[in-house]
Parts: sequence; C-alpha cells; structure tokens
Amino acid sequence: MTDSFILGISSGSACLVTCGMAMFPYFMAGSAGVRKITFDLSVFLLTRLVIYFFLATLAWYFGQTFFSSSVLRTFIPGILYIAFAVMLIWYSIDRNRKKVCPAKIITTVENKRLVPLVLGMVNTLGFCPALLLILTEGTTQGNIARSYLAFLAFFVGSSLWFLPLPFVGKFKKKKVIETIGILATGLAGAIFIIKGITILIGGILNG
Amino acid sequence: MDNTTAPYKMNKAFGKSLLYTMPMFLITFIFITGGKPDFSNVPTAIAMLITFLGVNILFFMMHYTGKTDRFRAILFIAFALSLSFTLISNIMEMRNSMSFSQADILECKIPFCHLVIPMMIIPAAFTRSIIFPGSIIGGFADIASMVVLWLVASLVLGRGFCSWGCFYGGWDDGFSRLHTRPSIRKISELWKWMPFAVLFMVVLTAALTLVPTYCDWICPFKAVTEFEQVTGVESAIKAGVFISLFGGLVVALPLMTGKRTQCSFLCPLGALNSVSNKVTPFTIKIDKLTCTECLKCVNVCPMFALTQEGIKSGKVSIFCSKCGKCVDACSRKAIHFGIKGIPSGTMKNFSRNLFLFVSFLFIAVFSSGTIINSLQNILKLIF
Repeated sequence: MTDSFILGISSGSACLVTCGMAMFPYFMAGSAGVRKITFDLSVFLLTRLVIYFFLATLAWYFGQTFFSSSVLRTFIPGILYIAFAVMLIWYSIDRNRKKVCPAKIITTVENKRLVPLVLGMVNTLGFCPALLLILTEGTTQGNIARSYLAFLAFFVGSSLWFLPLPFVGKFKKKKVIETIGILATGLAGAIFIIKGITILIGGILNG
Repeated sequence: MDNTTAPYKMNKAFGKSLLYTMPMFLITFIFITGGKPDFSNVPTAIAMLITFLGVNILFFMMHYTGKTDRFRAILFIAFALSLSFTLISNIMEMRNSMSFSQADILECKIPFCHLVIPMMIIPAAFTRSIIFPGSIIGGFADIASMVVLWLVASLVLGRGFCSWGCFYGGWDDGFSRLHTRPSIRKISELWKWMPFAVLFMVVLTAALTLVPTYCDWICPFKAVTEFEQVTGVESAIKAGVFISLFGGLVVALPLMTGKRTQCSFLCPLGALNSVSNKVTPFTIKIDKLTCTECLKCVNVCPMFALTQEGIKSGKVSIFCSKCGKCVDACSRKAIHFGIKGIPSGTMKNFSRNLFLFVSFLFIAVFSSGTIINSLQNILKLIF
C-alpha cells in the first residue's frame, strides 16, 4: 500500500504536467469561480475512483487466473515491474510527453457538463506507465480487498496533485514544482525497478 | 570549462593577517587543549599540536593571500577523510567489521549523521519518536548534539554548511579537484532540482514507513562509514545501490565534471540547506558595475549555483554553498562575500572577514576533534 501511495503521489505530478494544459482551460473556463471548479473537480476525481476500483477488480481477477503457479507469480510481475518502471522513467524525462496527452479528446465533447466525467475517464485510462505499474501491483495481491487498497492508495496519492487546481493561478513557482514532480516520478520508477529486481532475484534464489 | 583559478599573490601585510588570526588562535587553543595543555601522552600532544598549527596556518593564509577556497578545501577534505578513518577504525575495533547487524540497530548503536534530519521531522511530530537507531544524548555522534549543530550552522551559514560543516562533502569536493580538465562540460539545468525531488521522496517514504529510507537505501557514504550486513537479497541490493552511487556520484562524475555532483544532484539535506540560504545573513554578491561577464565564476562553481543569466541580473541562486571558489576566480573582485542589506560592491573586506571568522571557526571547532583522533591513531601505528 505504501508503494502504491508513493507511486501515486510521485507520478501524479507527471500526469498533471502531461495533461495539465488540456485540462486547465476546462477547469478554469467561465466565471463560476472556485465553487464550480470544485464541483467539476469532485466529479473528475469520483470518476477516477470508480474506474480505479473497476481496474482493481480486473487486475486481481487477472492475477488469480493467469498467475496460478508460484513461478509465474514471481517472474512475470518482476519483469513487468522493471519494464514499466523503465517506461515511467522514460515518461518522466521525455520532452514530447505533452504531445501524447489523452485528455485532448475532450475538445470533441460538445456537452460541457460531461467534460469532467470524460476527463476523469481518459485521465485514468490513459495507460501511462504508472497505471501499468499499479495494475501489476493489483495482480500480485492475495485478495481483492488488498487490490482495492492498493488502487485506493494510488488514487489518493495521485489526486493530491489535483486538489490545488482551483487555486493554481495563485502559485508563483509552478515551473519549479513541476520540475521537482517530474524528477520525483523518475525516482518512483527507480524504486519499482529495485522492487522488480528484488522479486526476480528472490524468485531465482528460492527456486 | 576553465577549472583553474588565478595564482594568488600575498595581498595583505603579514602583521595585519596575524592580527586577524589571533582570535582564531586563542579560541582553537582553548577548544583543542581544553585550556590545559597536557604533554603526558606524546602521540596525543603531537596530534593536537599539528591540528592546532595546521588550522591556524590555513586561516592565516586565507587572510594573507586573500584566497578562500583552496585553504578551506584542505581542511574540508582533511575533515572528511579523518572522519571516515576515525569512524571505520572505531567500528572495526568494536565489531571487527564495517557492517552493522540487526542487534546493533536494536541496541541503538548506530552513529547519527545530519543527513537523517529531514526524514525524522514528520515522524517525530506525529509519533513523538526518533526513527533512527542511535543514541539521543551521550555517546559517539548522538542525535541531540548533531541536530543542534546543524540547526545553528544552517541558520548562520545557510547552504554554507555544505562547504564549511558537512563531514561528507570533502569526498566529492576532493575528487572534483583531481581532474583539472573535465570531460563532461554540458549538464542540463534540470538536474539541479533533483535533491529537492530526493528530499520529497525520502521525507514521504520515511513518514509512511517510519524508516530513514535515505540511510537505508540510498546514502552513498555508507561506502566510507558503515553499512548493513548483507544477509539476503534486499541487503545485497542495498549494498549494490550505495556502492554504485558512491562510485558514480562521489568518485566518477566529480572527476569527469569537476563539480560536486553528489551534493548537487542527490543530497536531500543540501536541498533543505538551500532553502535556509534565504534566512542566513551571509551571501555571495555580484557587483554589476565591476563585472565584465567573463563567466569564469560560472565555470568554476562546483554547485551549479551561478548561471549566465544570474550573472547578468546580478543574482546568485539558492544552491550557493559559499565555498569561495568564484570569489577566488574573479580577478576584478566583482563577485564577493557579502551581508544581506549591505549593497553589493561595498564593505567587501568587512563582509569577507566576518563570514570567514564565523564559518572557519565552525569547521575548525567541528573538525579538530576528529582530525586529532585520526592523527593520534596514525602516530600510534607508526610508533
């Protein structure tokens, strides 16, 4: 659970930086003020939470079905952790990151009331490396409750970055915070590489 | 990148420099001897005498030559080497190995170091306990005295602590000086913020797990102090991580870049000290009237604190550790030690003398005990 929270809080910044430019105009648009923004943000976060619980169920079911033997349960997640963590590090340093934002799809949504809902969906299902890592985490959990907890911790960690959105105009050092967040995402990738290596070597040594 | 500094000339009168050195002479004498010189133990007396003379000669030379960094670096590097030497010899005597066991952790026998400080704050506030297995008061490197020392030094010197007080900084400072023609010259500005990301991650993980995660997983200086006994896969990976970081950030990269890469790209306490640069009275100032923008100072800065844009606007960034390398490199004295509130270009000598007295006193008092111990051990080995 700790790993999931750390992954969420560190990669949330990269997610915000990637899609921030697509999302800000919708959250900031109009003259409704902080109240309207807070409502939209709540819908956005709630959508994400519901999808995460759905994914937690899927991931756990997938793990139970396909990782039946202990060999598979050790090696596949170990390899996936390393692969996705490398992708996460690349994702954090990739300068073209902003071009791949899935949230750009909202420009095609005509009903503006649906925008927070659609944003929540595309933001969660964007399949960034952090989501792939947490899906891997979900497959390794012994019971479904632990899978929910892992996704909940990831959701809480990543959502912390969205909470200041209504007040984002008041921040002076946005660029510095963005840079530190992006670097922290890379560090989270390093943590999961180590986790993957530990699982793999442990698996090899224990036969 | 020109990493060389201008050769110094004796720019002050001998007597005047001696006069500046007198207060340091008296304070270090009292501190080193306790006010009562004891010559009964010959190796100890010789070690004390060498340390006392060495420290005061360095301070005298700083005034006599007008150069700061090269004399600071001698003491700073000697401090780092002697601390590792003393610590390792003490640990070897106690445990016969540089590694510590779970029993040592349970008995709180691990010497404390200042790098743990950022990680203990949140757990201490919420759980009223210290997450480091060391002694709180009394014993070698206890937690209370180290925290107080760091706090005082950071408030007075800001990130100057990293060049005048840190007992690890001398390692990468030393390696960064060995190769005068760096092979890596262009480093992205982005990496300067890495210590803040590391600080964020280690504070967060320490708060969540109640384990000093930086010491547990990352700290490269375990290679020259002590480390966890390798008993399984996890401890073996931890060993791999700290050995790689020591080899990469403390030895290889400083050699290749001529910069203090561990301090600039990894150390979480350095990030915290950068913030404390905002409150310290001492700073480095740029006199725009005298500055020709030759950028010698930018090239020699080991902490990436100076940039071309900064020089143009007359600003030094929060990453400055006040080592004095830029001041020594500037032939026009356009960049100088200063005090906040005093305009740049004025009271240069007063500001430098005041800063040097405070910072040198700190490193002299902080390092002399360790240096004496090392010299004593070396003398005992010889005789």
